[in-house]
Amino acid sequence: MKWIRAVLWAAAAILPLIAPLFLDRGMLNDLWQLALAVILASAWNLLGGFAGQVSLGYSAFLGIGAYTTLLLSLKGVEPFLTLPLGAVLAAAFSIIIGLPAFRLRGPFFTIATIGVAEAVRVCASSVSFTGGSSGLRMPTGSFNFNLNYFSMVILAIAVVATAAYVKSSPFGHGLAAIKQDIDAAEGVGVNSNRFKLAAHALSAAMVALAGGLYAINFQYIAPTSVFDFRLSLSIVLMPILGGLGTVIGPILGALIFSTLQIKLLSIPLLRDSFLFIYGGLLIIVMLYEPDGIVGVWRRLAPVRRIFNAS
Amino acid sequence: MPPEAILSARAISKRFGGLLALASVDFDVMRGDIFGIIGPNGAGKTTLFSCIAGALSPTSGEIFFRGERMNGLPNHTVVKRGMVRTHQIVRPFRQMTVAENISVAAHFGAGRRRGADADRSVRDILERTALAPDASALAGALTIGQLKRLEIARAMATEPQVICLDEVMGGLNPAEIVGAMALIRSIRDSGITVLMIEHHVHAVAGLSNRIMVLNFGQKIAEGPPQQVMNDPAVITAYLGAD
Repeated sequence: MKWIRAVLWAAAAILPLIAPLFLDRGMLNDLWQLALAVILASAWNLLGGFAGQVSLGYSAFLGIGAYTTLLLSLKGVEPFLTLPLGAVLAAAFSIIIGLPAFRLRGPFFTIATIGVAEAVRVCASSVSFTGGSSGLRMPTGSFNFNLNYFSMVILAIAVVATAAYVKSSPFGHGLAAIKQDIDAAEGVGVNSNRFKLAAHALSAAMVALAGGLYAINFQYIAPTSVFDFRLSLSIVLMPILGGLGTVIGPILGALIFSTLQIKLLSIPLLRDSFLFIYGGLLIIVMLYEPDGIVGVWRRLAPVRRIFNAS
Repeated sequence: MPPEAILSARAISKRFGGLLALASVDFDVMRGDIFGIIGPNGAGKTTLFSCIAGALSPTSGEIFFRGERMNGLPNHTVVKRGMVRTHQIVRPFRQMTVAENISVAAHFGAGRRRGADADRSVRDILERTALAPDASALAGALTIGQLKRLEIARAMATEPQVICLDEVMGGLNPAEIVGAMALIRSIRDSGITVLMIEHHVHAVAGLSNRIMVLNFGQKIAEGPPQQVMNDPAVITAYLGAD
């Protein structure tokens, strides 16, 4: 069974890389969006899923990445070279938020992150260098969709690989200990504060990289697009839907989420219904299978055994 | 403080609002001791452990571990310096296997083991605590006897110099108590100093070379088991005055 799993993972990584050979631009655009969703969901899962610290403030990191890239590109810097700076700024910001916020536990931490993200959005809308509420446009002549596509896909693969590595590493086990019983984790020597800060910074940097790529491909950003609270909400929804704290869960969640998003946006009548649908999905998952799709799959283990035997 | 003391408390007090849970308690634990702490319910025993291990900060007084002042240090720092406690109400990582529970402690405790070195340490402790057959069972699925052993195993895996055991025999059957006593002796024989809170007076008297008795947050007796058990103040605390 192990090799089947390895083959499937390899296929999942290779398929989007060779997709431009046989898919049209519209489909590739959808795949680009899926890759973005996978990055956001998997990166969030490092802190929210592995360490159990549910943050509703991740739009801040996407926004920091997007604005860093856009503002520096307007100054004439090659857009792709701005990505590392965005990542560093987002990681630094995550630590500044984390130092006070990680003193809070459970829902209090979550509420604090909402506050921070909203404060960032309001600030970004009211200062002039972000273009205010009307946003900013990338300088012309810097657009190459193929490059944008491959960058996003490769980043997605790298983020998922990092998540898989973290999960099986001592660092990942420390995060799991924090999630399951933070006092007991401290009691065996885990510096919970430092672990949470590290996971936060790592995921913030990944999300900021995606934010930079988002700005490069979208060519236009505004506080209402990249600092939107609904974005933070969707980032949380995907891993919960797929399976919190697993490697594949955020990918499955992203797959469902992007498909829904793309389908819904194409039907004018349902355009604005997506929050309603996500809210409903969230309630169903929380009530019936808190481990998401991965949990359903595990429940079906006895059924699979019957099929394998026959 | 005597030079051979590994752990010393000087006038430790802990106040919770109007309740004085610990009132100026002094004691010294020597390297290689099994130091028993007994007392009626609510005497302040667990509060004392929390103050020593760093989960609580004493209201006043000082704690010295290997000559260093430990007051107010966070729990994880105390563990990394070589002192660990178990919890009376067990706190396993329920969604991890028994081996993973121990492995986390081996990685981040005072030993800071990595890779194959950590695996070896985990295997060794699984054997010593008789948990090897359950190594890949989820901690959430264990019996209370196994959970108590896992609690000790995880503390051992941090490679402490002092281990504080909080009622590790509570809820065990007589056969399991015999096993637990043997395990505690083997821990001491491997060079670890043991502090233990215990309600099984016979077990604690049989194991300890010194016993301290707390009542209403105050130390009412300390000394070798025989002497303490015959102390009129201790008998009164346990049985009430006539």
